[in-house]
Order: sequence, then structure tokens, then C-alpha cells
Amino acid sequence: MGEDMITEGMLDMFIFETEQGLENLENICLESKDVGEFDDDHVNGIFRIMHTIKGASAVMMYQNITTLSHKLEDVFYYIRESQPENIPHAELLDYIFEVSDFITGELEKIKEGAETDGNADELIEQLDAYLKKIQESNKGSVAAAPAPQQPAEQEKPHFYIAPVASDASKFYTIYITYAKDTDMANIKAYIAVNSLKGIAEDILFTPADIISNPDSANVVLEFGFRIALQTVEEADRIMELVNASAGIEQVEINECTSDDFIAFCTEAQTPISSAGEVLMAPVEHPTVLIKDQKPQTIPLTSEEEKKPSDSEEKKPKKAPAKKKPVVKKGEAQSFISVNIKKMDLLMDLIGELVIAEAVVLQNPDLKVPGLDLTNFQKSAAQLSKITSELQDAIMAMRMMPLKNTFQKMNRIVYDTSKKLGKDVELQVIGEDTEVDKNIIEHISDPLMHLIRNSVDHGIESNEKRIELGKQEKGKIVLEAKNEGGQVWISVSDNGKGLKKKDILEKAKANGLLGNRSEKDFTDKEIFNFITLPGFSTKKEVTEYSGRGVGMDVVVKNIQDVGGILDIESEEGKGSSMTMKIPLTLAISDGMIFSVSGTSFVTATNSVTEFIRVSKDQLIVEPDGEEYVMIRKECYPLIRLNRFYHLEHGKEDIEEGIVIILNHEERQIAIFADELVGEQEIVVKPIPSYIKKVRGISGCTQLGDGSISLILDTGGLLK
Amino acid sequence: MEDEYKEASEKNVVVDETKTQYMTFRCCEEIYGISLENVNEIIGLQQYTSVPETEDYIMGLINLRGKVIPVIDVRIRFGRQPLEYNDRTSVIVIQVRDEVIGLIVDGIEGVVTIGKSDTLPPPSVSDFKTQSRKYVFGIGKVGDAVKLLLDPDKLIHDEPMQEVQERETGEE
Repeated sequence: MGEDMITEGMLDMFIFETEQGLENLENICLESKDVGEFDDDHVNGIFRIMHTIKGASAVMMYQNITTLSHKLEDVFYYIRESQPENIPHAELLDYIFEVSDFITGELEKIKEGAETDGNADELIEQLDAYLKKIQESNKGSVAAAPAPQQPAEQEKPHFYIAPVASDASKFYTIYITYAKDTDMANIKAYIAVNSLKGIAEDILFTPADIISNPDSANVVLEFGFRIALQTVEEADRIMELVNASAGIEQVEINECTSDDFIAFCTEAQTPISSAGEVLMAPVEHPTVLIKDQKPQTIPLTSEEEKKPSDSEEKKPKKAPAKKKPVVKKGEAQSFISVNIKKMDLLMDLIGELVIAEAVVLQNPDLKVPGLDLTNFQKSAAQLSKITSELQDAIMAMRMMPLKNTFQKMNRIVYDTSKKLGKDVELQVIGEDTEVDKNIIEHISDPLMHLIRNSVDHGIESNEKRIELGKQEKGKIVLEAKNEGGQVWISVSDNGKGLKKKDILEKAKANGLLGNRSEKDFTDKEIFNFITLPGFSTKKEVTEYSGRGVGMDVVVKNIQDVGGILDIESEEGKGSSMTMKIPLTLAISDGMIFSVSGTSFVTATNSVTEFIRVSKDQLIVEPDGEEYVMIRKECYPLIRLNRFYHLEHGKEDIEEGIVIILNHEERQIAIFADELVGEQEIVVKPIPSYIKKVRGISGCTQLGDGSISLILDTGGLLK
Repeated sequence: MEDEYKEASEKNVVVDETKTQYMTFRCCEEIYGISLENVNEIIGLQQYTSVPETEDYIMGLINLRGKVIPVIDVRIRFGRQPLEYNDRTSVIVIQVRDEVIGLIVDGIEGVVTIGKSDTLPPPSVSDFKTQSRKYVFGIGKVGDAVKLLLDPDKLIHDEPMQEVQERETGEE
């Protein structure tokens, strides 16, 4: 029933809001993990989140989520109202996480369009048992607990969202009638309610089940739609808001007294279903509201002197009336959520624009001798300025703080360390560092893996740590910082570190050392062995790691976004894994050079230098391999014309140019005919029709409209 | 030349099930036809960037209004000697499934409609004299003239698509 009433938009909103709620929930739990108890703010916060999720899922008709969140809400209702002293905190946290996991699982199903068939019965029973347990154990101390809240049906919405009343508040009854031929009048009514939410301190309406019950459309059409509203705004403003929704025939707004309002409330409340609750518990309601109201039941009298006066400065005139922190609300409204596809499209278009600009400004027509271009150049400079600002703006738009990603790691540490029986603390530094959205998506998995690795392999067991004289509690530091056009995200632990000897042995057994002696390997090279597929020195396999898959996936993920993984470790003291990732993927600076008529581009940041070398700097080995000596450093030389079998390239080393490229500590010299210039490049993939060519990772369009191949140093070195 | 075929194609918007429209072009002294369904557009030859280490018939990449597409020389694909490109050299941009590819041909002839009854199977295997016959799935008669009808899929792929995909996944 009512399935078709649920629009795509509502579903998206539901998923979005619920996910946010769960995220907050987990954060609250993790915050309180070390304290060992919830303070009042926490309890209220969790209570409100569960309440919102319950209401929203009821509207969307996800029964299992509703009952489960309702149960958890019950538990917190008890905790809030009875203030029991004796709450087994760790156990409660586990339950909360289980609830959160369950709902997250169901949300995933919803996203994929599957049935929400998860069974929460067991969890509900456990929660019931837990609630009973704390009730029992706290019986003595909380004799004065208020009315029993056990049976779910008894709850009344006004327990939770008490209207905020004040002198400046006015009460209105609004009567809306719709044209008889209006389709989906219930949804239109809901829109009207929604538009009033912004100004409402309290709002009630009848029929209340407009969302969950499609039949209510007829009721609305026949008897009209009544809203009781408490607000500080004038009737004009209300009229304006209500009228903004379509299909309205007539609107009547009457100011009334608070008594009428209460009368309406009681009248309207009887038939109220959960759909009504969610509407009265809009997400914007800050937690302050509940906290302030806690000692009262239904405070319709003004008690503003009790309230914090922080809002007073902001709106001196109406200050006492506004219990909601006005500023906070303003912030929330200044965000819009945009489909990422649209952002990508904009990004692509700006990329094209940058190239088109280069095409215009470097147009060969402009190179006619004797042309006076003074004015053109001026306008061109202005255009360039705007496009580069535009580019910065879209980049900034796509930048997101790492906060959310990092917060998820808290949970990973909590879960993993608990399962493994280790005591681990996570310290997060620089969570406000911003990274391109695309990159965030790519690093979330590798980061999770690194953290798990640290907890599992890095940190020793508690006993071992005591034995070693280390602090019993292990510590993992998750840090992000900007470092010259890159973002460095590091995971460091103070665990046992990597054992070079073990790694070398394993590498030897796998035949990875080649004919080099063990002593020749630098620390970096040794540590890099662990990033090879199937390489694990761990003797036994745990749930989290040790299978030898993982590090290679981590490295691949990081490489996909053009980053590298840097491993540092000291045996016995800990290790540190640093992901070095470019800030953005889409547009980068490139150096253009040509080899026998074909132009190549390479990322500017991988170029160390250009140099002309003389014949005596060139060393040719009998097998044909060449090296160049530059300032007593020896670099292997690749002649691109020979490498790619291009004809008519320059052969004389003194005529062309040598470019030194670096990639992850390694350097290589390439020989090209000539340098062409520098340009911002937008990386495009090579059409799949052409099979992969070693060392070429993509192509880009140059200022003259021609295509240039992107030379990838990493690929050349392979 | 380009206007001619545009007009022609516009006139024949009504598609007869039993008739197929073909874009015909000259290549190596013969006239080939390729189903209009596969043809996106005709462009003049523009500067291309050659990609090293690829098959000889893949001339390189061109920039088609911001989209990068590969171009192949049909002459070389047929195992003939390449001809110096001139004013008549054109590029037929075709699309086979998701792939957009430019075919460099000696010149465009126009659009013809050939009925099913006028389409004959290709000459038998023993008649194979040139490599180009391998890509021909039929011979279309238009009056006295004969057009060799090309299978675009075979033209651009050496092996059936399935094998190509298998090879690609295998490599990864």
C-alpha cells in the first residue's frame, strides 16, 4: 500500500538522513567509549537519532528498521527519564553498533532496490533483555521514575518534542482547501507542512497520516486540511509560504490562543500515526531543544529565562522566542546537495574550456607577421584569468574534508581491536584536510586496510606489550596533511614494526631477490616487497589479515589515483605507512616534447630537469644499454625513438635533449628531439580499440587541437 | 560531395526492411559499401598523432570535437600499398557497438540503397585473391555496377569480439 506514493526523492532523502543519523550515532558512541558512560547530551542525541530514524522508516514502511530503532529508543527513553546509575556501558555500545550495522545493511539493500528482509528479532530480544536488566538493577535507585514507557503503543509524540513557547510566539490555525480535481492532495498538503517547518516552533495537522495513507487525499479534498502552527512569524509570511505550494484553492489563517492550540493538539493527536511524529520531529531540531525541556512535561508557558541566551545577540528583537540556534540553521540551509554526475559533467566541460581557450589563444592565425594584437592580448589575459579562477572554483567545490572517512576508521579500530582483544587508541590529526571527492572514494578502502593491518600485525598483544615494557595501550596515529600539491595520509603505529630479516627471507624464498645480494637492498626496497601480491610473512591467518592479499590491492588503489605508498618502519618501535596522493586528478601541468614528429606529454612534477649532454657523458654498454653521467650521477637512458621504433628521430645525443624523470625514488633519463612547451593537460583515456602501449597512460589535447600521448614514468620503468 | 550524400540520406528517411542503405566509398580502384547504420559522419582528413607499437593500419588518433578517436587506413588494412593522401581523402567515422573509429578512404562515392534480392553472397573461398575479400560479406548490385559490402566488425577487429574480450580480461 502506498508504495507509489513514495517518490524517488523521498527515498534518497530517507537514505541520506538515516545514514547521517547513524554516522552521528556511531560518533557519539565512540566518543563516550573511553569515558565509560553517556552524558546527558549523548543520551539525548542518541534518543533523537533513533526517534528520527524510527519515524522516517515508518513513513517509508520499512517495518524491521522501525521496530528495531523503536526498541533502542525505548532503552534510551528509560535511561533518559530514569537516569539509572548502573548501566553496563560496553554492552550497550555493542548493542548500539549492532543496531547501526543492521540498519546500514538494510539501507544497502534499499539502495540496490532489494527487499528489506533482514530479521532483527533476535537483536530486539537482546535489547529487551538488556532493558529489563538495567531496570532491575536500578530499581532501588530510581523509585521515582516517571510513568512506565514499556509498551510501545503508549508513547505520545508530545513527550519528546515539546513545543517551545514564548511571549513572542503566536498561534495560528490554518485551513487549506484544495480544488476538487487536485491529484495527490495529501502530498500537496505535506508540501505545505514542509514549507512551514522552516518557521514553525511547533506544527500539528490533521489528517495526520497524509504520507502513509493515500486515502487521506480524499479526506483532504473533502474536509480540507487543517494545520495548527506555533511561530513567531506574521500571518503574511505564513500565507506566502503556504501559497508557494501548488493546487491550493483557498487558505484561511486565524490567529488563536495557546489554549486553542493545545485543544487542537489533543484533538489532532489521537489519530496521529508515526507519520505525524516524523513531521513533528524534523531533523533540524537541535538537541538543545530537548535538553532544555527535559525537566518539564509540556511547557507551554514561557520559560525563556532558563534557556541559554546565546541566541539573544543574534536576533535581539525576537531573541527570547527563538530557542533554536538561528545561526546553526542558517548554515544548514546554505548547503545544497548536488548529484555528483552533474559535478563531473561540469568538471569535464571546464576541462574542455581550458583546452578550447588554449586553442584560441595559440591559434596559428594570430601568428601573421605585423598583426597588432595589443587589445587581443589584453582580453586574452582577462579570459585566462577567469578560466583559471573557474578551474580553482570547481576544484574547491569538489574538495571534501577527510573527516567522514577518518571517523569511519574509529569504528574499524574499535571493532578490530575488540575482536583481537587488544587495547588500541586511535589519534586523528588533520581531519579537516581537503581532498578531491573522487580521491576520497578511492582511498577509503586502502585506508581501512592499513588501519586493520596496524591493529592486527602492528600492535602487539596486551601481554606482549607489558612484557616489552611498552605502554599497555597501543596507539595508532592517523594523520593527514598537505604537502606541496599532494596530500599525505599516514597511518603510524607504535607496534612491533616490520622485520626486515623475515621479509628478505620470504622474498628470497619467492625468488624475488634476483641476483642481487641481500645487503644491496635499501630499507625502502625491502619494505616494498610487502606490497607484492601474495606476499605475507604472517604465519597464521586471522579474520583481518595475513592472507597476503591486501597490500597489493592497497597499492593498486593508491596508484589508480596517481599516488604512491611510502613505508617506513623500525623494528620494535612501529611502522608508518604514508599514502602520497595528488590533490586532484583531472587537470594537471604537463611538459610537452616531441620525438620524430610525435608529441609526448609528461606530468611536470615527475620531471627533474632538462639537460643537453655531450657525447662523452654517454656510456654505451656492449649489450647496447646506454647510460648518461650527469654531475657524477649515472642514469639509465631510454631513447624514445628506438624504444617506440619511431623513424627519423634524432640520433645524435648532442642534438636532442635529455629529460630526467623521477618516479618513486627512481630516476631515468629519456632522450627526445626537442622540447615544445608546457600546458595544462586534461587526461583522456586512449580509445580501447588501441591496445595498451607500454609507458603510455593516456592522451590529451594540445593547444593546437592535436593529440599528444601522455608518457607515464612508472610504466616506462616497469 | 558531402552535400550530395546528405541530401540523399535525407530523402530516404523511410527505411524499407528489405532494403539497406550503404555509404559507398572508393578504395583501391574498387567501390565498397558500409551500412549507413554504422556511419556517424564523414570528415576531411585532419592531422593525426601516431601511436607507437600498434598495428600498421592504425594510423593514430584524431581529435573529433574533443573526443579522441583512432583512425585506420583501409588501404593498409586490405594489404595494399598506401596512397598519398590528397584532397579527396576522407574519413568515415563509424560506430560499431561502443567503439567509434575513423576509416581513411580514397574518396566518398555516395549513398545507395540496395535491396536484399540484389545482395549476393561473396565469391567462394577459392576465389579469394586479395585480403580485402575477407571483410566482404556480400556483393550488392546497383544497375550494372557492383559494390563490395563490408562487415564493419570484421574490418576493425582481427578476431570476433568475444575473443578480443577474453584476451583482454586474460591479460589483466
